Amino acid sequence: MSWQTVIGLEIHVQLSTNSKLFSGGSTGFGAEPNTHVDLIDMGLPGVLPVANREAFYKAIRFGLATNAEINQTSSFDRKNYFYPDLPKGYQITQMAMPIVGKGAIKIDVEGNEKIINITRAHLEEDAGKSIHDLFDGETGVDLNRAGTPLLEIVSEPEISNAKEAVAYFKAVRQLVTFLDICDGNMAQGSMRCDVNVSIKKDDVKELGTRAEIKNINSFKFIERAINYEIERQIRIIESGEAVVQETRLYDSVKNETRSMRSKEEANDYRYFPCPDLLPVVISDKEFNEIKDNLPELPDEKEKRYMSEANLEEAEAKIISSSKTMANMFEDACSKTDDSKLVANWLVGDVSALLNKDNIDIEESKLSSNNFATLIERISDKTISGKIAKSVLEEVWESGHNVDNIIKDKGLVQIQDESVLEEIAQKIINNNPSQVEAYKGGKDKLFGFFVGQVMKETQGKANPKSVNDILKNLLDS
Amino acid sequence: MSIRYKTIKDLSSMIQKRDISHLELVKETFSLIESSSDLNAFITLNKDPAIENAISLDNERNESVLSGIPIAQKDLFCTKDLRTTCGSNMLSNFIPPYSATVITNLERAGCISIGKTNMDEFAMGSSNETSFYGNVINPWGKNLVPGGSSGGSASAVSSGIVPAATGTDTGGSIRQPASLCGITGLKPTYGRISRWGMIAFASSLDQAGPMARTAEDCAILLNEMCSHDLKDTTSLNEPIPDFTEDLDKPIKGMKIGIVKEFDLSKLDSDVVQVFEDSKKHYESLGAEFVEISLPNISLSVPTYYVVAPAECSSNLSRFDGVKFGTRCDDPKNLEDLYIRTRSEGFGDEVKRRILIGSYVLSAGFYDAYYKKAQQVRRLIKNDFDGAFSKVDVIMSPTTRGTAFEAGSKGSDPIQMYLEDLFTIPANLAGLPALSLPNGFVNKKPIGLQLIGNFLEESKMLQFAHNFQKTSDFHLKTPHGEDIS
Amino acid sequence: MDKKTVTTIAYLSRIALNEDNEDKITSDLENIIKFVDQLDSAEVDGIEPLTNPLEKKAHTREDIVTAKNRKDKFLERSPKSNEDYFLVPRVVE
Repeated sequence: MSWQTVIGLEIHVQLSTNSKLFSGGSTGFGAEPNTHVDLIDMGLPGVLPVANREAFYKAIRFGLATNAEINQTSSFDRKNYFYPDLPKGYQITQMAMPIVGKGAIKIDVEGNEKIINITRAHLEEDAGKSIHDLFDGETGVDLNRAGTPLLEIVSEPEISNAKEAVAYFKAVRQLVTFLDICDGNMAQGSMRCDVNVSIKKDDVKELGTRAEIKNINSFKFIERAINYEIERQIRIIESGEAVVQETRLYDSVKNETRSMRSKEEANDYRYFPCPDLLPVVISDKEFNEIKDNLPELPDEKEKRYMSEANLEEAEAKIISSSKTMANMFEDACSKTDDSKLVANWLVGDVSALLNKDNIDIEESKLSSNNFATLIERISDKTISGKIAKSVLEEVWESGHNVDNIIKDKGLVQIQDESVLEEIAQKIINNNPSQVEAYKGGKDKLFGFFVGQVMKETQGKANPKSVNDILKNLLDS
Repeated sequence: MSIRYKTIKDLSSMIQKRDISHLELVKETFSLIESSSDLNAFITLNKDPAIENAISLDNERNESVLSGIPIAQKDLFCTKDLRTTCGSNMLSNFIPPYSATVITNLERAGCISIGKTNMDEFAMGSSNETSFYGNVINPWGKNLVPGGSSGGSASAVSSGIVPAATGTDTGGSIRQPASLCGITGLKPTYGRISRWGMIAFASSLDQAGPMARTAEDCAILLNEMCSHDLKDTTSLNEPIPDFTEDLDKPIKGMKIGIVKEFDLSKLDSDVVQVFEDSKKHYESLGAEFVEISLPNISLSVPTYYVVAPAECSSNLSRFDGVKFGTRCDDPKNLEDLYIRTRSEGFGDEVKRRILIGSYVLSAGFYDAYYKKAQQVRRLIKNDFDGAFSKVDVIMSPTTRGTAFEAGSKGSDPIQMYLEDLFTIPANLAGLPALSLPNGFVNKKPIGLQLIGNFLEESKMLQFAHNFQKTSDFHLKTPHGEDIS
Repeated sequence: MDKKTVTTIAYLSRIALNEDNEDKITSDLENIIKFVDQLDSAEVDGIEPLTNPLEKKAHTREDIVTAKNRKDKFLERSPKSNEDYFLVPRVVE
């Protein structure tokens, strides 16, 4: 008598094109309201859409990476409904002939792999934004986002619990960032999902009635919303009632889902082929070019790091799991032969800082350039490893340029052997009793001398040189 | 020298010979418009810019045939900074921030846009009785309709106050008023003229076209109106010929198709007589008649009245009082904003078509109506393809009769829809078609329709021009003025 | 055509039905639908619907930003707005 959960996810991925799906309006984030709006985005009378081929190319990359059927000829349909941020009173989407058909993606749920099948992925335009709380009794409409290309990825209802849903979402996010089709920035709304949840008894074959929870854009909320919804549905059915098929919103403050107050039975979208847009055909030449230039995916990177850069599986996995970190790794490796060094820093110090602040690498102030410079300065011995740690912390806080930090703080490693010798000799001269004790057999005191030299040089002495020089002076 | 009833060619010659300056021409046009204001052919005039334009053209002479020619623009085309209403209350305050491609094309060729002509609201109608700005009068009779939806354009040209006007044709809206007003009007192959800036009624059927006194003038305008526009994916990328080139070529030995399924016995005998006389005329010019069959033609009107409303119900959803156009006063909430804005902004015919459109697209009815209609549409197109393998053009009356009295079609919309019986098929198939004056019944003009094959406007114009060279119906004027 | 259908269609289209127009609209719709029911007789098995008379593929655009900022013009020509946004009565979700 146990309950089974059936979940399907519809993920809306904002494609990282420069311009919109059907107009030359800019897709840039964070602009002043209504400044990125083209005549076409406004839905003015008489305007016509023209498709942005880069959006198709990006969609096809997704299809290739998920081994999906790709429809080189695809067409557009209109989904008709009224809402203030939907300028034309319809959304141009793909119902009948989506660009990408059936595919699959591998997910990792706490060490276990599962394949989730994807029903389809299609192109459609995003709506604008309605701002409800800023204006006295009114809602403000900003059409900047209207017309931004979205790839809607629809999964089969094969996800069984909240953790799998999050793993699936993460896998999709990883894929789209690696494919360079989306920046994966959840906070900016680059990816949002609608979750369809239903429950049924173990021994029943038919799926239960599903509720759709719309527009969730964080891993945490996906998990919570699903768990709440499962409980809610169980409660309803156990009390003898039926689950209503409806659209719900997740309230993160109250941690509950609630019904959207709209006339559901009248939400007939009356889909029909858009007569303004003839079918778009991607030629074999274009298709092959996309295929040949497909960016490297996490699995491939992982393998390559292990074979070419000699990384261990664990570190290769960590570095290849994020496009930003992978790029950082590759950029830094171009500055040094020591790929292990780079890996250590990323998996060690950088990862520790990420954990401490509980952020993702994209959210940190550490730029790839800066990290590469840091590695370069360690490699060319401008600074010691220890000093580098403090430079990294400074960069982490301020985002300032590594070379500037080194210069401003005078952190350049002292390499000049004659300078170091002088200092070492001075230390030796000033500490006769320790010298005697060391020469008498107290080997551990060697560290004292090293420490004193480091202190004298404010940590900037090249540790290896210090070691060698002291050994020379003390052991002779 | 009076400019009234002059053709583009006449006026162009007068200008080139300096018999009249650009400024005089424009000023006289405006004074003619003013003295004919009872026609109600115009909604907005473009006086100051037109005069400025004329003055600058007088300063920098231009040899092109359209230089300085006054053109009336149907109020369905967006004209930058000049009010564009579509004959509707919904857009009574709409000032477009851009101009339609066809307007830009004509103005670049030297035409002076004189003003925006009255029309059936959102191009829905066949009598210009649905405009928010009042009915348009047919110059041939005070109580007569000019036809629609390009009624204002037809009336203005017919009364000789402008030599030409732009119109749009979705189910016959250029040809039918041309027939009822005794002028020549042409709808080109779908896609010849860009739809950028043409406020959409039914996207897969709409086409702009010229309305003028002669086929030759239509050809001159068509040369400039057509273009391949990258802003319109339904714009044809085919070579644009010089449409005036073949006008004078003889039509001897060429074949004219008569549609077996067009049962003319149902028409008034006088109307049939005019049509028969035209056939004889063409025979005298050496053309041969061939009977052709378009087996699915009788389903044209029902097909149209599924497809066009479906597309328009979606196209008109953008009129919601949010971003442009009019808005109802003091909306209580969002639903109230939408419902009252649209109910107050749209007239009855527009509402009917939107409702039909929503119905035929709705779940449960889509397959039976919309999908089916689109399938029948392909059958109709296939029928034409077959026919054109046998003939050069197809001929029929343009309308079932002459101009009728305003208000006489009663409140049954179907009666009005049947007005477009002969014209609708060409829109469904995307074929070029024109109407030229070919006679009079009870002193009212009537037109002859020619339908050409895909991209064959030149051939169609050749037939029309040959007819006009050897007849004088197009030279008759409403008040008997002699303009020969 | 039953009342519920007419009411639903009118709502989907955001057009008001009231005592003045409801009957006429209902009978008009019924007549028009009866008229277009002639399509029933057509044999269309295996026929591809014709969405647009041009049987060609669409040309596409290059991914470059071409739009200029027309915020002021758009807002000033709108029915209601403040200096940044179009305004509508508050929407409650």
